Amino acid sequence: MKEINELNLPDDIKYTDDHEWVKKDGEILTIGITDYAQDQLGEIVFVEVPEAGDSFDQGDEFGTVESVKAVSEMYMPIAGEVVEVNEALEDGPELVNTSCYDQGWIMKIKPQNPSDFEALLDKAAYLDTLRG
Amino acid sequence: MDNSTPEKWVTDLGVINYQEAYTLQQQISLAKTEGDLTPDVILVLEHPPVFTLGKRGGTENLRVPPAFLKEKGIPVIPTKRGGNITYHGPGQIVLYPIVDISRANIGIADFVNTLEETMIRTCQTFGVNAARNPKNHGIWVANNKIGSIGLSVKHGVCHHGLALNVNLDLTPFSWINPCGLQGVGMTSMAQDLGNPPMTTTVKTHLLDNLSHVTGFSFKTVTPEQLKKAL
Repeated sequence: MKEINELNLPDDIKYTDDHEWVKKDGEILTIGITDYAQDQLGEIVFVEVPEAGDSFDQGDEFGTVESVKAVSEMYMPIAGEVVEVNEALEDGPELVNTSCYDQGWIMKIKPQNPSDFEALLDKAAYLDTLRG
Repeated sequence: MDNSTPEKWVTDLGVINYQEAYTLQQQISLAKTEGDLTPDVILVLEHPPVFTLGKRGGTENLRVPPAFLKEKGIPVIPTKRGGNITYHGPGQIVLYPIVDISRANIGIADFVNTLEETMIRTCQTFGVNAARNPKNHGIWVANNKIGSIGLSVKHGVCHHGLALNVNLDLTPFSWINPCGLQGVGMTSMAQDLGNPPMTTTVKTHLLDNLSHVTGFSFKTVTPEQLKKAL
């Protein structure tokens, strides 16, 4: 497992204490799981994503990642509607391991309240949660 | 944040219905994620005959018609754990560690390894030459599977767990492709040794080995005490 100082945690995105990351691109937010999360999971063999059009409240389970013999839930960073999911994960779940912030993104959402984004954790605050 | 290591409770539930044990796991898991229960809890038990499916199903790996199982009185229960279809029955020791692995800073892959190591050491204690197998996770004696693992993780707290075949009727495994694998046999300590140890003895060693592998020290808690704490 990686040490905290070995983790790749970009500065220009937000985080949650359940280890999702959120990137803002105009009105749309892209969501994935962090380097810490993929490292803890080990080899990912399946990603269950929602469907475009699904709506979730903040904190709702929106999907799961299955690694060796373990299914882990993912939680909605902020309320919103799914506008697109990463179809490439169906045949390439390992993208979440190899490229968690880029090719391994999970879904894009339209937030209910765009200002909720600002309340998410920044890198420093996320690092604090990892250090416990 | 409180950095002290939470207590590890061990509760022996004896033989308990799958659904009843599952409800208890959910209660413990919820109490932990909501901050109402600090200790991690390890449930140790046996189930009456039951088939369970993994999150991604497994009915395609049933080799007999559902009506056949109904006639035998064995339920097939969908679950949200990892892995595929499996069978539980009396004489198989099941361990459900409801542990906040996130707080303990244990990765999920590492925790799966820990549970495998616990089963391997326990088998070896009794002279069963068990090992990992690149074919699949779980624990194997040559090409036959003796121990299985399936976990589910919610907010960093895991539940479900491991199942080790000690001395059980293996026939129901022939009605499925265990873990979704074809052409795989199942075995038990009884089948391998001929003269099997008592299930209760194996239980004790399994917990001792879990303690050694993880560094956890356990506190025995009765089912009544556990339910009172929830």
